[in-house]
Amino acid sequence: MARPHNIPKIPYAFFKLYCKKDRFEEMHGDLEEYFYERVETIGMVKAKWFYTRDVLRCCQPYAWKTPHFNQNSNFVMFKNYFKTATRSALRNPLGTFINLFGLSLAIGVCVMIYAFYNQSINTDRFHENKDNVFLATIYTNRDGQMSHYGMSPMPLASHIEEEMAGIKSVCRVDYQNTIIRLNDQVFYEDIHLVDASFLEMFSFPLKWGNKASLSDVNSIILSDDIATKYFGTENALGKEVLIVFKSGEKKYYKVGGVAEAFPDGASIKFDFLINYDNIDLARKNYDPNDWSVFLNSTFIQLEDPSNVYGVQAGLSKYKELQNEVKEDWKISDFELISIHDLYLSSEGMSRVISYDRHKPGRVVLPIIGIFMLVLACLNYINMAINSVAKRLKEIGVRKVMGADKRKVMFQFLAENIIVTSFALISGLFLGIYAFIPWFEGISGDAYTINITDQLFYIFLIGLMILTGVASGLYPAFYISRFEAVKIFKGKVRLGNKGWLTKSFLGLQMILAIITITGAVLFIKNTEYQIEREWGYDQADVLYVRANSPEMYEQLMAEFDQIPGIESLSGSLDHIGRVSRSTVVERLEEKYEVSQVRVSPEYLESMGLDLKSGQFLTPELQVAAKELVVNETFVERLKMTDPLGVSIKLDGENYQIVGVVKDFHFSSFNREINPTVFSPAAKVDLRFIVAELALGQEVEVYTAVENKWDELYPEIPFDGGLQASILDSYFALITNFARFNKAVAGMAVILAMLGLYGLITLNISGRMKEFSIRKTLGAQAGHLGFLLTKEYRWLTLISVLLGAPMGFYAAKFQMNLVFAYPIPMGVEFLIIPVVILILLILLVLASQLFKVLRFSPVKGLRSE
Amino acid sequence: MLTKVNLIEMGRAQIGEFEELVLLTVGVLYDDAYAVAIAKELEGQSGRVIAVSAVHKSLYRLEEKGMLDSRLSDPESKRGGKRKRLFNITPYGKKVLDESQSLRAKLRNQIPDLAFKFN
Repeated sequence: MARPHNIPKIPYAFFKLYCKKDRFEEMHGDLEEYFYERVETIGMVKAKWFYTRDVLRCCQPYAWKTPHFNQNSNFVMFKNYFKTATRSALRNPLGTFINLFGLSLAIGVCVMIYAFYNQSINTDRFHENKDNVFLATIYTNRDGQMSHYGMSPMPLASHIEEEMAGIKSVCRVDYQNTIIRLNDQVFYEDIHLVDASFLEMFSFPLKWGNKASLSDVNSIILSDDIATKYFGTENALGKEVLIVFKSGEKKYYKVGGVAEAFPDGASIKFDFLINYDNIDLARKNYDPNDWSVFLNSTFIQLEDPSNVYGVQAGLSKYKELQNEVKEDWKISDFELISIHDLYLSSEGMSRVISYDRHKPGRVVLPIIGIFMLVLACLNYINMAINSVAKRLKEIGVRKVMGADKRKVMFQFLAENIIVTSFALISGLFLGIYAFIPWFEGISGDAYTINITDQLFYIFLIGLMILTGVASGLYPAFYISRFEAVKIFKGKVRLGNKGWLTKSFLGLQMILAIITITGAVLFIKNTEYQIEREWGYDQADVLYVRANSPEMYEQLMAEFDQIPGIESLSGSLDHIGRVSRSTVVERLEEKYEVSQVRVSPEYLESMGLDLKSGQFLTPELQVAAKELVVNETFVERLKMTDPLGVSIKLDGENYQIVGVVKDFHFSSFNREINPTVFSPAAKVDLRFIVAELALGQEVEVYTAVENKWDELYPEIPFDGGLQASILDSYFALITNFARFNKAVAGMAVILAMLGLYGLITLNISGRMKEFSIRKTLGAQAGHLGFLLTKEYRWLTLISVLLGAPMGFYAAKFQMNLVFAYPIPMGVEFLIIPVVILILLILLVLASQLFKVLRFSPVKGLRSE
Repeated sequence: MLTKVNLIEMGRAQIGEFEELVLLTVGVLYDDAYAVAIAKELEGQSGRVIAVSAVHKSLYRLEEKGMLDSRLSDPESKRGGKRKRLFNITPYGKKVLDESQSLRAKLRNQIPDLAFKFN
């Protein structure tokens, strides 16, 4: 039916699309009659318009093409597919279980990865103004390398606000650790000093109170967690909180608001918010116009986000102001980064308000997900191909009845989609109720899947189609090719596809061995990290931090009385806690180093290992201008004979008197920095470092804590055993190992299930052969030999390929996470191989046992 | 299952007001009752604007209910060479119309004169 002249094209096509064939002529005749009549009376344009309207109006059920479900042959066919699928699934319960279990496991892992990825990518993107609020970041040249920092010069904000156009508002953010006192409780807490615009820029709705209270210099806003910690469920509004700033200043604040709990994907957060104008209390010698001082963060909200490059270019005029006064920290560039992008770009930045912890996860997890899917799909493919013998007759009959290759293919694909959709449902439950909570436990974050997240459904559907097709396409293709005649003549040869099944199984073994290597390596590495030398004697050291010189003196005197303390020394900075980042100069070259300012006895109390020279000379203190450096320092400055060399630090010349062996300042996943120990003035000392008698750590620790509480009930105890300073790091890497172990476990289970299923199928097809062999006197050893014959070469090749691959994959992952990973010896090639082979033997042995117990009479009788 | 016969016996043939109008118009137009003509006739007689889709819908429903019969005409050039479906009333259709009319008349006659005294 060609489209009649002048009738509008699209409505006509639409009409044709929906209209029943047997009503098309009469109905469209009516529409045409109207149309031609209207062309005459009201003109072509209007007539077309009316025609369109009529077409739309006629689009009602009475005109629609009806899919006649009950008579439609496709539907009947599909019903039949479903029936045969269920029947063949039930006939091979083991295979079905393996398929379903494997696919659900893989899909569950994928769901978990989706939740993680989605949250990681969307961190901090819940803020309404995410696209027009920007963080001012700076680049400086450090040791010839461009470094990116999230901080900005103190006066920047006010200059921008006054001098630049297109700025909606500016927000300064500074945070510091303070003492919070409430009734009798004292805690160390981080407080944020922010401009009142903070709550306008960021979407942190308040549970109680109002946002305007942030403009009041005497009020404070608490986070939901903090309100619960201090006040339980009680409304905290109007309560008074005392803050003791770093500077020593104290001030009472009235709670003016409590924020709602932060969403899961929040990286920029706060515990306490007070107005920025309190900064003159918080910082000593605060000068708003001092370009040499850095503020933690400056946020800028633009009227029009597309204007960002203009504003960014405009910032460069402030470089000069800063460069004049801060010679050793010259800013070379400003960059504005929106809240939308900040989290993901924070990885290469230092001192930034948001910190991307998910990077390794975003690299490793998708790989794991793909591993799992591939393993599960391979299982499915292998099972499907190997069980084809049982379904040959069915295929033959279908073909005789007129099904062509495409129909048979479609049947098997449909079957597969059915299995996959079951797996999808159970995988979804597995993911949401098992894997996500488990992963939350390991990562310490909360991951939620939003039910209204459309992307998630697209992901699920995509996942289903992908797994369905990936696992079903080949078997469907393979199965559909058999010719009916050959099937019934019994001329079909099944064995010739063995190499493919085998290479699939081999691939599974390779994947299994890769994950096993990962797990072994991570477990060993964790042990290695925990055992690793810290570079100093952490075991018998206790440290305490005083707030003032008086307090330091008093504690020193008191601790001297405590039995079990063998020696006492002091420092301004402390290994594991605080160091100062500074710049030293030698031969006109500048180097960024960590500086630890200590009393001369400190080095010995900490048990640092002297490599050459001597420790700082006692009693001379600052006047001595001596330095002790670590090996990395010597290396970085390319010195051959460091002793006696003069180094410029803070504008003064110091002499290197000793070199200590490298030690870990903090966790082992940080690289060791070039470090200098310099003498500190006695009044500056804050940390008290006590060497304890071995075996008395706990008693002394309790005694020290009690003494502190007795002397300073208003200050929270700040100190601990040096040995527990890395506890959180060890907890972290133990979790890493746990994660890898679980992943390897799943991969191994999948691969072994696949192997088990294959061997079972294989054996059930050879029962007659085994029966004959048994009657003729074959022994267990011989049967075992026969059974393993097929898998020997396969295992060997997989192992030869897989072990090195696993080795390098694990090495890659290890270097991503650890700065000082375990040295990779040949044992990491061997241990996984042994584990895998043992597991394979276990599977084979279970089957051999079955064959041995099987009565040959049964095998020979059955036809 | 309710069949046509059941419906008649129960005396509850389902017919809507618009359907009834369409049914009547089919009768009026006698030998040339097809959707466009019916729609125009109704428009002319009632003064309402009638969409042809509404007429289609009623016609097909009435045919399904057995009150109308239909056949195809010869192709006509004013319709782009397409045939039209001509409808005519079945005996059952007539019965439904009669019943409906007598029911209305019966009810109308039972209204006491008092009910129409409006002042």
